[in-house]
Amino acid sequence: MSDLAELSVTDAASAFAKGEVTAEAMVRACLARIDAHDVKVNTVIRLDREAALEAAAAQDKARAGGVALGKLAGVPMMHKDMYYRTGKVSTCGSKIRRDFTPTVTATALQRLDAAGAIDMGTLNMAEFAQNPTGHNAHFGDCHNPWNLPYCTGGSSSGSGAGVAARFFAAALGSDTGGSIRLPASICGVTGIKGTQTRVPRTGVMPLSFSMDNVGPLTRTARDAARVMTVISGSDDIDPTAAPEAVPDYEAALTGDIRGLRIAVPHEWFFDSADDIVVTAFEAALEVLKARGATVDYVACPSLRAIGAYVAVVSRVEGATIHANWMRDHPGDYAIHLSGRLYGGYAIPGTYYLEALSRRGALLRQFCKEAFIDHDIVATPTLRMRVPTLAETDIDVDPAANWARHMAVSANTRPFNYLGLPTVSVPCGLDDRGLPMGLQLSARPFGEGRALMVADAYQQDTDWHARMPPLA
Amino acid sequence: MASEPVPPVMEAIRLWTGVECPNAAGLRSLDDFTALIQEFEALRGTLVFEDEPSSFEAALRAEAEPGA
Repeated sequence: MSDLAELSVTDAASAFAKGEVTAEAMVRACLARIDAHDVKVNTVIRLDREAALEAAAAQDKARAGGVALGKLAGVPMMHKDMYYRTGKVSTCGSKIRRDFTPTVTATALQRLDAAGAIDMGTLNMAEFAQNPTGHNAHFGDCHNPWNLPYCTGGSSSGSGAGVAARFFAAALGSDTGGSIRLPASICGVTGIKGTQTRVPRTGVMPLSFSMDNVGPLTRTARDAARVMTVISGSDDIDPTAAPEAVPDYEAALTGDIRGLRIAVPHEWFFDSADDIVVTAFEAALEVLKARGATVDYVACPSLRAIGAYVAVVSRVEGATIHANWMRDHPGDYAIHLSGRLYGGYAIPGTYYLEALSRRGALLRQFCKEAFIDHDIVATPTLRMRVPTLAETDIDVDPAANWARHMAVSANTRPFNYLGLPTVSVPCGLDDRGLPMGLQLSARPFGEGRALMVADAYQQDTDWHARMPPLA
Repeated sequence: MASEPVPPVMEAIRLWTGVECPNAAGLRSLDDFTALIQEFEALRGTLVFEDEPSSFEAALRAEAEPGA
């Protein structure tokens, strides 16, 4: 390995545990890479250079002293700038919170700290996590490291772009309508949102109470399994966090998917899909079939209702949270965001409550349609090829770009309404050299199953190992 | 040009929330609701009298991955 910044989470942790590398050397390698390339990609909001080196030195000292090492000891990470850390500014990608200094540290960050991960700072993101493309009017747009004029996907734009560019081994993102899986797919990395409530949300900026999720973006499914094992589980402060015991997701990555039954819904996910996306998706299915899985196309008529309801829940909850600022400081938002939030005030309360009230029934119906005879639902993560920043920029031209902008998250949103654990893994490059993603969803609390299939796929492909030409 | 229902909706928002339409993107966002209303029209009659939001957490557990 010529560059320590290229190490995956598990490889970095393993090399550190064996004494083959110091945490300080890994952090310095990542810092050097950021210094060399981030001027083009624009992933970083705050780089905690000295704090990261001090944390790395502490891990090196602990190892030298024979202290038991955590699962992520020495692994360099950065996180979307909406995970609160006491005393550190958390901008949430906004002008409104440019000076917001929280008095709490996110539970997910506390767990990563305890596992020995090195937090190097905070990452660019869509303003208040509210767009699927990664545009940011206040900190500048994040650029796709595979091809700079193209969008990164959002809202966890810096998380996806930075992991792809090998600026750090992993990053936390958040996912309310696809904000982990979209940048994972578009930047060619792996991302997972867990079952709704699987990871506590204490100390995390809210967007939509009902559908927000915390999760990692990494290079491999094995890395994602390692991080999810660390951050999942009940929390004394977040009463919504699921109390179910957390398995060791990594231990389940056997690669054995013989007999696995994969369902592909006829509906929704292929509406107006680009041919090259469908071709890549079908090729990914062939890889899984060669490992012993079977694939069936199934009818899921519930998806039409799910598609209508999911749009209502996030828009109403987002508009509610932002009401005071929308009254008092509407000009402090980017044009696309204040415009999007504004629409939420027009939705009747009865629509919102209908959407929430039918969530349980529709989850049961979808499971009956998709999972009664199957273990995994597979779809493309995006229906379209990766768009450019310009052709999805609503601030410049809402009339021309609105529909394309909103279509980016069409295939990811349903799984937020359903609350299902869902992974995106890279499954190809399009004709312009931009990544495409395979989305794998499992039953509730089936994170281990989804990750196991993702890992099996990555054992037979190398899309996840490819690096953007930026490097 | 905003579609016909938009001006009264803007007035309702102002009355109920005190929020003014911020820009053209706000108008575009309201125009989206013509399609959303049609989608909800198609769903009329599907909400069951006893349905309640809290059943979602129960459904998550009822439909959980075996052995998880």
